[in-house]
Amino acid sequence: MSVIDLNSMAEAQAADRQEINERLQRLREEVSDHCYQCGKCTSGCEAHKLLELEPHRIVALLKKGLIDELVNSDIIWTCMSCFKCKERCPQKVAPVNILFALKNLAVASGKQIPGDFTAMLQSAMEKGLIQDVQQVNTRAGETRTREQMGLSPCSKPEDPEKFQMTIMTVAMEKV
Amino acid sequence: MNRIGVFVCHCGVNIAAKVDVKDVADYASKLEGVAVSMEYKYMCSDPGAQLIKESIKEYGLDGIVVASCSPRMHEHTFRGVAEEGGINPYNVEIANIREQCSWAHEDPVEATRKAKAIVKAAVAKARLLEPLQKSKTPVIPEALVIGGGIAGMQASLDLADDGFKVHLVEKEPTIGGRMAQLDKTFPTLDCSSCILTPKMMETKNHPNIELLTYSEVVSVEGSVGNYRVKVRKKPRFVDVDKCTGCGDCTRACRLFGHVPDDFNLGLNKRGAAYIPFPQAIPLKATIDPSYCLMKRFGKCGDKPLCVEACEPGAIDFDQKEEEVELKVGAIVVATGYDLLDPARMFEYGYTLSPDIVTTLELERLISSSGPTYGKVVLPSNGEKPLSVTFILCAGSRDETQCTWCCRIGCMSALKQVYLLRENLGPEVEINICFTDIRSFGKGYEEFYRKIRGKGVNFFRGRPSEVRVSPEQLMMEVFDTTTNKLFEIRTDMIVLVPALVPRADSEELSRILGLSRSGDGFLLEAHPKLRPMDTFVNGIFIAGCCQGPKDISDSVSQASGAASRAAGILTKDELENDPLIAWVDPEVCVGCGVCVEVCAYSARTMNEVTGIAEVDEALCVGCGACISACPSNASIHKNYTKQQIIRMIDGVV
Repeated sequence: MSVIDLNSMAEAQAADRQEINERLQRLREEVSDHCYQCGKCTSGCEAHKLLELEPHRIVALLKKGLIDELVNSDIIWTCMSCFKCKERCPQKVAPVNILFALKNLAVASGKQIPGDFTAMLQSAMEKGLIQDVQQVNTRAGETRTREQMGLSPCSKPEDPEKFQMTIMTVAMEKV
Repeated sequence: MNRIGVFVCHCGVNIAAKVDVKDVADYASKLEGVAVSMEYKYMCSDPGAQLIKESIKEYGLDGIVVASCSPRMHEHTFRGVAEEGGINPYNVEIANIREQCSWAHEDPVEATRKAKAIVKAAVAKARLLEPLQKSKTPVIPEALVIGGGIAGMQASLDLADDGFKVHLVEKEPTIGGRMAQLDKTFPTLDCSSCILTPKMMETKNHPNIELLTYSEVVSVEGSVGNYRVKVRKKPRFVDVDKCTGCGDCTRACRLFGHVPDDFNLGLNKRGAAYIPFPQAIPLKATIDPSYCLMKRFGKCGDKPLCVEACEPGAIDFDQKEEEVELKVGAIVVATGYDLLDPARMFEYGYTLSPDIVTTLELERLISSSGPTYGKVVLPSNGEKPLSVTFILCAGSRDETQCTWCCRIGCMSALKQVYLLRENLGPEVEINICFTDIRSFGKGYEEFYRKIRGKGVNFFRGRPSEVRVSPEQLMMEVFDTTTNKLFEIRTDMIVLVPALVPRADSEELSRILGLSRSGDGFLLEAHPKLRPMDTFVNGIFIAGCCQGPKDISDSVSQASGAASRAAGILTKDELENDPLIAWVDPEVCVGCGVCVEVCAYSARTMNEVTGIAEVDEALCVGCGACISACPSNASIHKNYTKQQIIRMIDGVV
């Protein structure tokens, strides 16, 4: 008994799907199975407009257990981690955290991390942030700086070496 | 009881296949106090009942134990059999050897052993059973209906037609409810007020219906058959006997054009003196004290203009709140719903533009009695919209807002598409962003198909956010049917908001002692089999106060609730189940713990004697007060401590 994707002849990977769902539950997220494909995540996805990331489709493939297709796709690396999909989802599914799980799976299976992503990784290692956001655009199209928003400047790790060591240790454990 | 008969049922093979019924019957015959013991294939059948009745006479039995199925199934049957046989119906004990024995176990030897233990316990208890009598309460053949919307009116009319006096309490100055705000109804496109106003007239003119508009229920006491209800009549500051409903005062009011018209959801402004809509019933003016200058400052220019305008001299600023007490036998609650405030969903920008409206607001814009007399225009500038976009499920089916489906959103939006096409013409662009279209009712799917042929852009997807610029409203929506992200530029956005319990539903449930489900709607006694009943005997629910539903479902439920209420009102008196709590006055110390734990308001403290009492009509025999009583003064009839201890002795 199995479900087969007749395009790629791929079979559903029930164990991987369960592992990702368990990972989401540990993060106190809803499991992907609750998604009813309303597409609100993709409607608002900042990366979709530039890079055609379709969070709702990633959730749909995960629901069918077609994990390899996702893990082998470059698309999972294009997420900008703005967390809007998690914020807006009416079913409390967090596509962004599914993508983190898929990225971890990809690294664990020995996939090369795309070049653009390493820059992001570099930033995280140095500053503790994926992006040190300095300004944002409002819905009305105005630009606001951190100062104007009443936010303090981006913090930096006090002891960069120790910070990097800690991050590496955690990363090894997670992957 | 010293002459107990034990009757062991085979229940076909349900019991007999696992339990050696003959062995159980033989065992029972040797128990203390048992005069006779026998087994039969179906005890609940006519011959089985006959067997019990004959045995009662033949052996002079004073109590019986039936070893059969759960008491939920046939306890009532066997109590009847005992009564017909000439013994008190409460001298019957059921030993459940089906659900709790034969169905639950595989090993026949062990099952038989357990069945014997269960029978032994039942016999031990039966020896201590007390004959009980049912008490009776007289029924007041009048009903209270709370809420004068379509459900409340239907329930009132049904009960009034059955010949019962009905008191219909409505919070607003007029009956009619939400349906009065609608232009047309789906899927038949009946004009809403054309089918509603005859019902309103009928309600007003029915000799058995007393209308209490602009009134609220403040307290409910008593129990089924005999409720005492206090109703507060708010002052209209208009003498309704003199007022002719001409509307002169509403136009004369100094604040005319300054007070948000809540019937039109604030889309236009009225005065402090107002009549909600032309077909209002009763057609009487009301003065809104939260705006009226006379009521707020005691002064209105040099003199109040409404007084001057009113020819019959009906304005009376000294009118006071009144309280009336009603005595009724049954209550139907039909208080309706509210719409979710779309401002709670920041992403849809409801507060950012007047051109982002709700379905109900659009309904008022479409209605010929609405603020624009049926001309659909943009609230911001009064111009005709060239593009209208609907966003369905705004807050519905949403774990962060309302988890439930509003059940009317899809159909009401489709209906409005039809009306907009008629109103605005074929050249206007209409877009619908939906997640699923739920067209489940009779004729609904056919209506959906009809709308699909009306040149509408359907997007299967939810926009993530609405952008408001001075020129246009914009949104991006990913359509999952084409796998494409679209940008929609539109003039007007219609949000289809979730249906939520009325803001005062918590207070109402407290006044009536009703439970609410997790979503805040009033809770029915059983979702399938007792959908109109509540856990309080004699109080019934109808319409959207129980959960979102459309007009036809509300009307059906209202008729159902009325018929359930009539079932009580037709009786002269009600019999109360005697298996309830009882207080031993010698033991009670009057601590009042029982009063606190009783969920049914059945326990009260007699202030004269200082002893707790039980209202026999309200007590359901749940046992909460019995376990709470620190001095063992509260006793459950025929479930006394001695009886239960003897049962335990029997089993162990």
